[in-house]
Amino acid sequence: MPVVFAILVLNFLLLHLAPGDAAQVLAGEAGSATPEYMAQLRQRFGLDRPLALQLVLYLKNMLALDLGFSFRHNLPVLALILGRLGPTLLLMGTTLVVSVVAGVALGLLAAARAGSWRDTLISILALVSYATPLFWVGLMLIVVFSLKLDWLPTSGMETVAAFYEGWPRVVDIARHLVLPALTLSLFYMALYVRLMRAAVLEQAGMDYVTTARAKGLSETRITLSHVLRNAVLPVVTLAGVQVGSLLGGSVVVESVFAWPGLGLLAFQSLFARDFNLLLGIFFLSACLVVVVNLMVDVLYTLLDPRIHA
Amino acid sequence: MRFRSLTLGLTVLLAVGLVLAAGEAAAQKRGGTLVMLVQPEPPTLASYISTSGPIGQVSSKVYEGLLEYDFNLKPTPGLAQSWKVSPDGKTITFTLQKGVTFHDGHPFTSADVKFSVLEVLKKAHPRGAATFRELTDIDTPDAQTAVFKLAAPAPYLMMALSGYESPMLPRHLFEGTDIKASKYANAPVGTGPFKFVEWQRGQFMRFDRNPDYWRKGRPYLDRIVARFVADSATRTAAIEKGEAQVGGFAAIPWSDVKTLARLPQIETTTRGYEMSSPIVQLDFNTRKAPFDNLKVRQAVSYAVSRQAVIENVWFGWGKPATGPISSNFAPVGFYTSQVRNYNVPNGVEAANKLLDEAGFKRGAGGLRFEIVHDQTPYGEEWQRYGEYVQQVLAEVGIKATLRYEDVPTWLKRLYTDYDFQLSSNWIQGLADPVIGVHRLYHSRQIRPGTVFVNETGWSSPRTDELMDQATIELDPRKRAALYQEFQKLVVEGAPLVWVHELQFVTVYSKQLKDLIVSPLGLYASFDRAYFDK
Repeated sequence: MPVVFAILVLNFLLLHLAPGDAAQVLAGEAGSATPEYMAQLRQRFGLDRPLALQLVLYLKNMLALDLGFSFRHNLPVLALILGRLGPTLLLMGTTLVVSVVAGVALGLLAAARAGSWRDTLISILALVSYATPLFWVGLMLIVVFSLKLDWLPTSGMETVAAFYEGWPRVVDIARHLVLPALTLSLFYMALYVRLMRAAVLEQAGMDYVTTARAKGLSETRITLSHVLRNAVLPVVTLAGVQVGSLLGGSVVVESVFAWPGLGLLAFQSLFARDFNLLLGIFFLSACLVVVVNLMVDVLYTLLDPRIHA
Repeated sequence: MRFRSLTLGLTVLLAVGLVLAAGEAAAQKRGGTLVMLVQPEPPTLASYISTSGPIGQVSSKVYEGLLEYDFNLKPTPGLAQSWKVSPDGKTITFTLQKGVTFHDGHPFTSADVKFSVLEVLKKAHPRGAATFRELTDIDTPDAQTAVFKLAAPAPYLMMALSGYESPMLPRHLFEGTDIKASKYANAPVGTGPFKFVEWQRGQFMRFDRNPDYWRKGRPYLDRIVARFVADSATRTAAIEKGEAQVGGFAAIPWSDVKTLARLPQIETTTRGYEMSSPIVQLDFNTRKAPFDNLKVRQAVSYAVSRQAVIENVWFGWGKPATGPISSNFAPVGFYTSQVRNYNVPNGVEAANKLLDEAGFKRGAGGLRFEIVHDQTPYGEEWQRYGEYVQQVLAEVGIKATLRYEDVPTWLKRLYTDYDFQLSSNWIQGLADPVIGVHRLYHSRQIRPGTVFVNETGWSSPRTDELMDQATIELDPRKRAALYQEFQKLVVEGAPLVWVHELQFVTVYSKQLKDLIVSPLGLYASFDRAYFDK
């Protein structure tokens, strides 16, 4: 609780260090404005009050779990965030599952024959996808799969001209999900591949592997039921930590693929100085990270019964 | 006999009229969904309290104004079928169209006009207070007549009544509520050819055909969807693939327009921006050295090669600007090119000479003085533009350090703190100089904290006087003469460098016809647009 409180205060003060305010941005977008108009805006947004008072009011609202109102959008912050939460979780969830599964599998494959051409190939693939900028990967995927091959849509979450309902809509959304999820997954997968490969090689030298081999278990059996379990722990740890950065790192992907997620909303509200909305998003992502890390802890105990919460 | 031939004549006329009408209806096919790219996503759809461009591109499909305009910048009928200005210019009588209803079925009457203008636009619109300054009251003798009562003539007012600039709102939904917090900001109800259906934030807005539109038979499209795609390369891809059919303003970056224009299915046009008339500028802070010196300002103005900027930064789209008023105003006579010409071949030479005269001799390494050059933070072109200015200033012995900040920071620096020396900028001349141009040059427009007004600090009693006279002058010829003298004086004083008239390019599908039909361009209602597949 004190941690959350400190985060709230810090977020608030840090944001208010930025020069300019929401009224100025709105007036700037409008192209022109009278001083009376600007004063009206500031009064409505509560920007004419002293900063300390603004902070107290903000904390009071947060105690009641009231995220406030975005004057820029003329909508409650909660409504804006909830509208974006679904697409964000969809993209994040898909990315997390795909990158962890693919990362673990490829890492395992690479480690099983360390030094072979297969290992080299997988390592190069991992290195390249980690080193290539996300926006470039995204654009190249669009060029290849959307413009040249015409298999998938360029961007968005659904075909806006069609307005599908029911099952066709699910298929439509899935088709739109492929490229952004692939772009993000490639990047995170690369990390997991390298981590998994190292962990498997480390485990392979352990005594219990020698024991298992002495028992006459097949190599496949040893790898799948003994090594995998132990080697996957660091990957799970990293994945848990990365949920937070996945939220932020997806700004680029959301922007390239016009995916209606929270990252882009946060990015845009910063430049619009829409602090109520931004603080709301920060609060939500903090909550999200906490929840995911709790889930990771639970997963630990399942994977390795020696670990107790 | 005479009577019979008259009847016959009338019958023939009627028949021809019918055939023509039928021909028109046959040529324009009904149906289809138009997907337009709008960048960035608008924060709300409240065009009555914000004139932000993206808002206007979508709200103008729902809200209409009293007037529309033709390419000669002359008013044409909109929600008003006719109008009459009294000889003294203080009374304007609008006769409204019959049988117009809002999307909720409520009839549109003169009471809505009175409420929209006096209660909303004059009080809450960012430009409304200036546009309707002289308007004291609106009489509504009957439901179809609105009489504007003015304290002084206001010729510019007739240019500011489009659906984008002055939308007509439903009084019954707004009256008695807090206008600025109205829920209709995000779900507009207007009289236009398209009805607002839904807004999926971060994705799209949907507008469906209004079957009860007062222009019978229109619109031809079934639906308009506005899509929001944050990345410019993806927007280009979406147009290329045909997922979207229109992108205007800078939605498609100038660098991509040429590539797209080569595709057989794509059409481009620079028309439809005649009521925006943006000019790319360099703004001096005339309060502080070195730019308090007229010769220094003129020198910089000579040094900048208009053609180089247009060719190298804007990929050829643009037209050298000569002064504060865009050449788009040539049809109404306000524009003149008979001013000091800074766009000369040996500009750098002229600049060096002036700087020498001003007493800024070249010192060590050929350096005269150093400045910081702020760049307008609206994207990549502006950074290239800044780099060009830096380079050309170096040629005349001025070392410029570039500074690029985010929008709110830059706005505060320029318009609140006046903490700048030279900044790039672009300003729209809008539909009339009184609305778009005066704000940059009038002494009364030096107003700290207000954006896009006179931040250079330049002021001269004579030009103030000329602008004040042009504001109330009804005779277009006399008004033109006032503006011609104004342009000569301001260009001589060089509070800014007018580099070029920025040309936006609208990129659209060849199958789309009658899309850009007036100077309002993408701010028009698209009631005539149709797909010819």
